[in-house]
Amino acid sequence: MKQSYFYLGGICLITGLLFALQFLSPAGLLQSNPVSQRMVNLTTTINNLETEIAAQQDYIESTRNELNQLDNQANIEKLQLMQQELKEAQIHAGLTSVAGPGVIITVDDNHSGQKANPDDDPQHYIIHFEHILSIVDELKTAGAEAITVNGQRLITTSEIRCVGNVILVNTTRIAPPFEIHAIGSPSLMINMVNYGELAVLRSSNYPVHVEESDELILPAYKGDLQFQYAKLGGL
Amino acid sequence: MWAILPIVGLLIGLVIGGFISIEVPAAYVKYFSIAILAALDSVFGGIRSTMEDRFDSTKMISGFFVNALAAALLAYLGDRLAIDLYMAAVFAFGVRLFDNIARIRHLLIDKWRNRS
Repeated sequence: MKQSYFYLGGICLITGLLFALQFLSPAGLLQSNPVSQRMVNLTTTINNLETEIAAQQDYIESTRNELNQLDNQANIEKLQLMQQELKEAQIHAGLTSVAGPGVIITVDDNHSGQKANPDDDPQHYIIHFEHILSIVDELKTAGAEAITVNGQRLITTSEIRCVGNVILVNTTRIAPPFEIHAIGSPSLMINMVNYGELAVLRSSNYPVHVEESDELILPAYKGDLQFQYAKLGGL
Repeated sequence: MWAILPIVGLLIGLVIGGFISIEVPAAYVKYFSIAILAALDSVFGGIRSTMEDRFDSTKMISGFFVNALAAALLAYLGDRLAIDLYMAAVFAFGVRLFDNIARIRHLLIDKWRNRS
């Protein structure tokens, strides 16, 4: 009699184990009926979507609360400060037109020199992008705050590069004569270029003209501004 | 006193099954349910035979395994032949289950009447 209960207990243990496994496994819910299986799938999909909707609604709510908080702050002083910062950032980025004292540097191909020596390689008588690059570099060294090359405002991503027989600045083709405008300390910049690249050009008889200006107006950068890889970060 | 052992066993089985998280694959759910039926059949058969004082451990244990295997085999064969042969097992086990439960009920009622 006693022994039989032991065996019954053992069988009961197995039964309980099987029951638990069957009840707890998600497969136990679907059975092998394709219709009910589809129902379960649909139910799962609906539940997932509802969870997602709830999460999105939470996000909307939190964003709205944030917006309300910002509205309620009504900190006009702070707003003005931020707008000021934004303007400064735009000036630094070259997204606004700027005015101020500066220099106008004009360089052109050496037409007369080439006419005098028609058998020479014309490469020796034209302005190459390296010349413009050097002038721009020297202007920057002298503290130029805004620079244009033939009306193209130079920003951080601006290129000065020859492609074939033309020079590209901000992906725009420019042609001689090259007129470089720069806002900054006129005397410093003139000194810098006169003893730098312009001296080299003058020694090769290129027509070079440097002019000081009290009021230069440089246009804003008008091209595309899309950063695909650089993200805000690091701070 | 010892009559509590089956219930304890059942609870232990449920707890173990609850803790080991093995998921029964959907394809084997059918065979699993047959196994559960076989186990239940053995349990009630065992209770009945105990009450009738003709319990045989060898018969019960072998009955459990052979019945479960035969039922699973039948279900598999039915799947291959596209006949719901496992229904036969479900039917047989179900009938026996109810038969056993009825016998147990009768025996319990008789016992209770004799006592009072």
